[in-house]
Amino acid sequence: MKFFPAIVFIFIFQSYLLGEYIDDEYILPPEHRVNGSFVAELLGPKTDEILKSTVGIIRNGKLIAHGVIVDARGLILSKASSSVGARSIQTYNNDSFDIRIRKRDEATDLALWQIISPSSKNWIPLSWKNEQNRTKVGNWALSVGPQIEELMLGVISAKCRPIGREGGVMGVILEETNSSTNGIEVVEVLPQAAGDRAGLKIRDKIFSVDGRSIRKTSQINQIIKDKNPGDLVTLIVHRKSQPVILRLTLGHRAVAFDLFNRNLLMSGPVSKRKDNFATIIQHDLPLKKEMMGGGLYDLEGNCLGINIARVDRVTTYSLPTSIVLPVLDRWIKSVP
Amino acid sequence: MKNNILAASLTFLTGTYFQVPIFLSPLHGQVDHNVSFPWEKDLPESINELIEIQSQIQKQFLEVQHSVVSIEAEDGAGSGVIVSSDGYILTAAHVIGERGKKMKVIFPNGEQTDAVSLGGSELSDAGLLKITEQGERQYAEMAEARSSEVGDWCFALGHPSGFDMERGMVLRVGRIIRKKAETIQTDCRLLGGDSGGPLFSMTGQIIGINSRISGSPEDNFHTSIESFISNWEYFLHEELHTLGSMYGGGFLGVLCEESAKGLKIIEVVDDTPAMEAGIKIGDILTQIDGVNLDTKEKLTILVSTKEPGTHVVIDYLREDKEISARIKLGKRASVK
Repeated sequence: MKFFPAIVFIFIFQSYLLGEYIDDEYILPPEHRVNGSFVAELLGPKTDEILKSTVGIIRNGKLIAHGVIVDARGLILSKASSSVGARSIQTYNNDSFDIRIRKRDEATDLALWQIISPSSKNWIPLSWKNEQNRTKVGNWALSVGPQIEELMLGVISAKCRPIGREGGVMGVILEETNSSTNGIEVVEVLPQAAGDRAGLKIRDKIFSVDGRSIRKTSQINQIIKDKNPGDLVTLIVHRKSQPVILRLTLGHRAVAFDLFNRNLLMSGPVSKRKDNFATIIQHDLPLKKEMMGGGLYDLEGNCLGINIARVDRVTTYSLPTSIVLPVLDRWIKSVP
Repeated sequence: MKNNILAASLTFLTGTYFQVPIFLSPLHGQVDHNVSFPWEKDLPESINELIEIQSQIQKQFLEVQHSVVSIEAEDGAGSGVIVSSDGYILTAAHVIGERGKKMKVIFPNGEQTDAVSLGGSELSDAGLLKITEQGERQYAEMAEARSSEVGDWCFALGHPSGFDMERGMVLRVGRIIRKKAETIQTDCRLLGGDSGGPLFSMTGQIIGINSRISGSPEDNFHTSIESFISNWEYFLHEELHTLGSMYGGGFLGVLCEESAKGLKIIEVVDDTPAMEAGIKIGDILTQIDGVNLDTKEKLTILVSTKEPGTHVVIDYLREDKEISARIKLGKRASVK
């Protein structure tokens, strides 16, 4: 299904961005807007505390994620699948430190890193707050901007809830025919998706999947739905009456189908893993995917959760403290 | 010079020049109003005031959320808001597409009903829909014309990416950045599927309908409620007014801006019926064929839905003297 994303508006006047009068028309200046700088001022010293306990996680000289300092020994919490392969961090004042991976948790997609050099024991961790009663729809929420220089203001935009597993996809559209003994026909192959990469072609007839012969589309769905993106399936297809064996690595639903979703074209890159979370907080801070792993804060500067997935241009999921803290407590105790 | 060309080509396109800003006090933001609530100030002055704004929005959100619906048709999905107990729904013109289309309406509790699209206008992107099934509906109030202005806090609701029971509707908070005749611009962070959803004032009245998104998530557009108020009867009974249908229609040849008394002429295009009839800059159009003119969009619709060659009676004020003129509408010159 498509959604009505409306028309993208192209401005005739660019100068309105500066916030000024144009032909006697008053335009709200940026510093009065919701994302304006007034919030940092109102928060006072809390702003500094938040910025100082936030780090940029770096791989090959590029920012790949944010992280938060959670322990005086220089332990850093971040999003596991975003921070893979990181070697160093950068702090709010542009100091650089080397880091090493300590722990990783598949279920929450969290990872624990430790600063190894130059060593210091004086890291100041952020303060946590149980998120309950602080994540009502409409509550203000803060996160750190991309350069770890400023705060951004947004709201909790929808109900806290579990996000189900998406499962793997082949990225093809199938059609069942009456003469099912001939296999299930491929009627569309989404470009660049899993089926396309494995060499599936339109009019191929899928005869068997992982050694099981197929008579109905539902049988294929049954096999695929229990597998994850990245899992391999072996297909036998009939192409021009000749059997062909294909090995197909299942893809992400988001990556395969969202290519055609205009919302996502407007969003830019989103997080690869944005499903299968026990509970999430949804907010409207337009954070880049390289800012996942950072904290979500209330107006007192307490951390309510960890930003875990950029879903689209105005939707971010955060893992609440009720999910983060049990994992973190276990980890902190086990690190020497 | 460049602006004149732009103005002229827009005139030919629409009959009136709707790029010209209107009725906003140039002193806005400098006037010391009798401020009694934090959201009436230029900026909140403390964290507590920011929280008062939050509480006010959450209070209004609880009041109005039952009126916000998801709208589905065969070719897409959008949002809308119920404005009467017998089920009239405001949405965007690009959500309904045309008059007489069967659509499905989903209430916040998941219940569904049938609706049929009525009229609207592509100029402002206003669209009207009516629930066909009998019943009493919970609805939200429309704001009075010209009750919102630049700097006002507001909140937008919608069902982006379609209805989702677990997530519920999505709330975004922002301020009015700019307001022109048919368009309100805010920094509420919108997404496709939000189209047609309502923009509410801090007192819980509908001031706009989500319309267009821009490349920046913090710069989006809403049809102003003034468009619905001004053209209500037309939207109720006539075909959706399209930009295309305008090209072949009648043509007057003036640029105007909205004022308290009517539409103030700011330019009369050479060799047009308006010039031949002796209309001059500074004249204020008050009526066309006995119908009050309160918005530029209304003038455009009333003129362009008549055939070229039709006679209309235009009443206008010149230095507070009432004048009535019978004018033969011309044909819009094609835009090259």
